[in-house]
Amino acid sequence: MNTVAKRQVMSLTVNGDTYEVLVSPRQTLLDVIRGPIGLRGTKEGCATGTCGVCTINNEQGEALLSCLTPALEWDGKSVTTVEGLEADGELAPIQQAFVEFGAVQCGFCTPGVIMSAQGLLNSFHKPSEDDINDGMAGVLCRCTGHIKVKDAIRDVVKKRA
Amino acid sequence: MAAKPEAPLSIIGRRQPRLDGFEKVSGRSEFTDDIRLPGMLHGKVLRSTQAHARILRIDTSRAEALPGVKAVVTNRDAPTLMFSEHQPVLAADRVRYIGEEIAAVAAIDLLTAEEALDLIEVEYESLPAVTTIRQALKSGSAPMHERAPDNIGPTMEKDWGDPDQGFAESDLVIEDEFRTPMQHNTLAELHVALADFSNPAKLHMYTPTQGAPLYQMELAKAFCLAESQVRIVYRNIGGAFTGRGRPKPHHFIAALLSRKAGKPVKIKATADEEFIMFRASGETFYKFRTGVTRDGVIKALEADITFDAGGHDEWAMILWLPSVYLNWLYKPVGVRYRGRFVFTNTVPKGSHHGGIMGRMSAGWQQHINHVAEAIGMDPAELQLKNAVDPGYASPDGSVFASCGLQDCIRTVVERSDWKNKYGKLPKYRGIGIGIGAQASGSKGADNDTSAAMVKVADDGIVTLYTGIPDMGQGSHTVMCMIAAEVLGTQPEDIRVVQGDSDITPFDWGAFSQRGTFTTGNAVKAACEDARDQLAAIAAAELDTPAGELVFRDGRVFAAASPEQSLSFGEVAAKTLHSAEGRFVMGRGFFNSPKPFGALAFSFGAQVAEVEVDPVTGAVALLKVWAAHDIGRVINQLAVEGQIDGQVFSGMSQVLYEECRVEDGLILNPSRLEYKLPRAYELPDVDYTLIETIDPYGPFGAKEVGEGPIVVSMSAVAAAVQNAVGAMVPEIPMTPWRVLRMLRGTADGSTSVDKHWSEGLEAPLSDTKS
Repeated sequence: MNTVAKRQVMSLTVNGDTYEVLVSPRQTLLDVIRGPIGLRGTKEGCATGTCGVCTINNEQGEALLSCLTPALEWDGKSVTTVEGLEADGELAPIQQAFVEFGAVQCGFCTPGVIMSAQGLLNSFHKPSEDDINDGMAGVLCRCTGHIKVKDAIRDVVKKRA
Repeated sequence: MAAKPEAPLSIIGRRQPRLDGFEKVSGRSEFTDDIRLPGMLHGKVLRSTQAHARILRIDTSRAEALPGVKAVVTNRDAPTLMFSEHQPVLAADRVRYIGEEIAAVAAIDLLTAEEALDLIEVEYESLPAVTTIRQALKSGSAPMHERAPDNIGPTMEKDWGDPDQGFAESDLVIEDEFRTPMQHNTLAELHVALADFSNPAKLHMYTPTQGAPLYQMELAKAFCLAESQVRIVYRNIGGAFTGRGRPKPHHFIAALLSRKAGKPVKIKATADEEFIMFRASGETFYKFRTGVTRDGVIKALEADITFDAGGHDEWAMILWLPSVYLNWLYKPVGVRYRGRFVFTNTVPKGSHHGGIMGRMSAGWQQHINHVAEAIGMDPAELQLKNAVDPGYASPDGSVFASCGLQDCIRTVVERSDWKNKYGKLPKYRGIGIGIGAQASGSKGADNDTSAAMVKVADDGIVTLYTGIPDMGQGSHTVMCMIAAEVLGTQPEDIRVVQGDSDITPFDWGAFSQRGTFTTGNAVKAACEDARDQLAAIAAAELDTPAGELVFRDGRVFAAASPEQSLSFGEVAAKTLHSAEGRFVMGRGFFNSPKPFGALAFSFGAQVAEVEVDPVTGAVALLKVWAAHDIGRVINQLAVEGQIDGQVFSGMSQVLYEECRVEDGLILNPSRLEYKLPRAYELPDVDYTLIETIDPYGPFGAKEVGEGPIVVSMSAVAAAVQNAVGAMVPEIPMTPWRVLRMLRGTADGSTSVDKHWSEGLEAPLSDTKS
């Protein structure tokens, strides 16, 4: 039994569903999403903000490192995780493109890479090559070398009206 | 096994998206850390803070008294539990590296386990530490092991052919030295083990792995169990890159804690702990010697390599791997290899992506370029002139039944416009060619076997049972493509059952580039067996000899009368529901008839073009042209992905990666400070696949899992060498080192012409004599 500071009840909306959870001040958004909420699609990589594997999207649809964000600061707010991208049983365009272009290998970083890409696509309607490079600089993929990841993003951009 | 002409292929060669892609992109894929077992506890390991010390006292009483702590273990709990011959799982009375496992705790949550670690008292008596090869080899240095008074561990000396004769026939002998630093492979999924040993008669180990058998064998041996009493379970695996070939201390410790607590225990690495747990490649010194004639015939090759083994010699294969590799590219009269381990007070070493050969090749390729320069020959021409070809039997006994190396070289030379670029690029631009070879499943043990089973349901859906792990390389999709090709169905109609050693048939695992080749042959045989069982019924239905039946596009028909056919599902249903009620169950296995070494080899060549910034020293990799002979291409999309990943990892090792170590402490154990390429640093890759059809591979396929990285590392290193105008004597070629090179070559100073063995009182070329 640890003796750290008192736990508090907080409310967090994940992918449109609101959860009431008991959280200690030491817990991060990642801890809460994977732990009491039980959405384990978001992975824990380095847990120190260096690899980007835990990336989710904030209310504005921007990329957010869930491992560095104290959960209690997010009381009453909402986030999107990789499980929240599907609509009507269909994968989001970026998810489909990842499969089609071979942008997935081991898949451990994939939720974070996809949420980084989605964050980029939320921020820019037609991101340039530099926007893509900037937007993806915060996440590491060990297997693909990011080469087909960028192909997948470019394809989604190309298909946008 | 003779090459047999195959019917036109319908599945093999496609760009097949991963069959588990949907699960992976949607967050449905389960990894080990996602598993929650009832009553699961969290384990933490107490690690040595000293590089070299005697342990005088360990007091765990305060940790044991902390509420929520369920088990504390030290060497006293398991004094005979050994990780390797000379190495207990938990240190007994001496520690030999910072991070060595001393004690461990299991508690109800991670915070409690961490708090308990802080309550364990360890009293050390510091001993003099040697933390580099140079220190360890200095006479008078304190020995780390009684069995190695001079700090030199296992050694290997081997000549193939007649190297003395080869050197005698040479007009010129060129020598170079090279160094690679400690490098660590940053896996996406950090090391994790979840052990359930609540029942002491059965150990369940949930962990990412490259193959269950070695884990099963080593854990069974250590805990005095039969192998059937150890069950290895894995789900998705977040990369491996040689890092999950065998169990590591945390697997044993999780099991020990679980046995003591009577509950499942999970141990998961933190970001900095990962640098200890991985067992990276250590500092390595290389001396290369090559004898060549004036007209460019390579006569003799020699490499002398000194490896920092760390505190224990855990992975003996490191010594052997580069030795055979020297035999696979050229046709010398003889090859000489000398290798040795040196013990230092650093973490024990394993391997990095590229299996030692990649790191070596970053220097060896530059050395070969130096040879070319010395005789005034274009390096591409020198390598083409000496390159091995089909049917060549190398001095180490390898026979290259299929070999497209020369075509690979010609292809990248042409596609990169090499002849108009080499020696003609503007200042600070460089171009380099690298070549390489790789064994497809090098046999190191008699039971290096893959077995596979398939069953067929009455709707034609096939279930494939395989023990090959898919760490991201795409083996499961490849196996489904092989199965679908044999059975004439679609890859989507094959279901894979994997990841549980209690269920799946034996498979040595996914290392030595054996998946496609060895497991692929087993899966092909199992499907052929099932097809024969189905053909017996189809033959009667279609009134055709079974041997004339074709299985293709979901139909079964006689080759001569394709209009009269049955669907695959109908044949399956008729077989299962026949009067005999035949259950269709195919089995197959593959074990190379060769007792040692590989049956098939892949080859490749790459050209890399770089630009060096003369102000900052930063190297930009502009473009890579890759040509690889990997036999028959099974999945074009996956092959490109494998090449991409190896270009990434190759440039990363040559240009960026380095563990900065001071007094045995890794100073940069984080993914920010241990630099890796980010998305914007990757070059365009131009791929050409040279399809030689190998007589032994499934449908003629060979490996692509680790061949390209050796080639990438060679090409990138060669390009930087070309840009700065001299051999770069070590990797990574960081901005600082490149600047020093540029200045050194500009003013003609020799400060960069470093000889790594200089000043060592025990010369590197002397082994224990």
